[in-house]
Amino acid sequence: MARERATSKRLTRFFTEDWLAVVVGLVLVTLVLAGLLRNIP
Amino acid sequence: MSDRALTSGQAVSVRRPEPVKEWAWWSASLLLVVALTVATWWLNKTVPTWNRQLRVIEFPVYAVLLGLLASGVLSLFGLRERLGAYFRTEFFLKTGLVLLGATINLAEILAFGAKGLLQAVILISSVFFFTWCVARWLGVEEKLRALLAASVAICGVSAAITAAGAVLAKKEQLAYVTGLVILFALPLMFLQPVAAIWLNLPPDVAGAWIGGNIDTTAAVVGAGTIHSQQALKVASITKLSQNALIGVVAFLLALYWVVVVERQPGGHPQGRPSAWEIWERFPKFVLGFILASVVVTAALSQGWVARAAIRDIQHLREWFFMAAFLSIGFGLSFRGLCEAGWRPIGVYALATVFNTLVALAVASLIFR
Repeated sequence: MARERATSKRLTRFFTEDWLAVVVGLVLVTLVLAGLLRNIP
Repeated sequence: MSDRALTSGQAVSVRRPEPVKEWAWWSASLLLVVALTVATWWLNKTVPTWNRQLRVIEFPVYAVLLGLLASGVLSLFGLRERLGAYFRTEFFLKTGLVLLGATINLAEILAFGAKGLLQAVILISSVFFFTWCVARWLGVEEKLRALLAASVAICGVSAAITAAGAVLAKKEQLAYVTGLVILFALPLMFLQPVAAIWLNLPPDVAGAWIGGNIDTTAAVVGAGTIHSQQALKVASITKLSQNALIGVVAFLLALYWVVVVERQPGGHPQGRPSAWEIWERFPKFVLGFILASVVVTAALSQGWVARAAIRDIQHLREWFFMAAFLSIGFGLSFRGLCEAGWRPIGVYALATVFNTLVALAVASLIFR
């Protein structure tokens, strides 16, 4: 139980909005560069 | 109402429907953000077609106004708190900033040559420190000071957004500075090309002056067009070279904030935070910004992607910034805006006068 809580705490700390923005931003850049997202208005 | 304690079974049966309800509110909130962002995009595209001079009013104005409107209407019906879940300013801003990094081709900084880079470095550093000192002298709050200095010294709205991410500024401060940027860009767009003609400046010097002084890209294009085609070309290049240095400024600003300004009192015997603490508190979007910029520069220089892809990333970035400014408008506190007072306006005005004079001197020396 304590270990689960510690893991959950670590994950929460890692997945802050800051990191989430970096991941989402880089994924979107990759999708555009790979030609999977095109002609965005 | 009965004060009888619930059995565990009853408690579960009471709690169960809540997540479903919450999901419904979250979905409605997401739909609302998407719909309002589309409305902002439509206004930004349509209003300039009514009158060409209105193109200087950029999307943050429409987005903040729509956010305010939505907030007011939802408050009337008591739905504001429930539908506010997806108005995530920080997430939208930072994702937009990573995308902004991807639109900056590092190879272009070198391609502009020594002249453009030299002008950008002189202007950014001198105007930034002048604005910083004037703002400190007038007692402007530190985060607001950073936003003002970055927006006057670099490139207006984008720089204000980047600085806001680097120093974790309040949303009211970002809205305030964005408003100032747009307010000051409008008269400069008309006055500066007229002054350049009156001063009989050659097109290259006029362009470098316009690009080095006016803060928003739309107003730079407008002013350059009023002067001449050559001035427009040089102004755009000068502006781009300043924009390209935004990542360097963001990195230095974030580092300064973590190491000097927000140092935990008593946490470090010598007043110096540990490397781990710097890493923990350093805004990670700056790393995403730099990484995206390096990846796109490499992909473009190797010919792996077409330039049209960069246009797509620019559009995507605008969508995220529109959502961010909507969220700012949604959560805007007029008390927070009033707290800033008149001083930032005075700082911005003084910094703009200084920027105008230094940009004229530097452009005359470098581009003549």
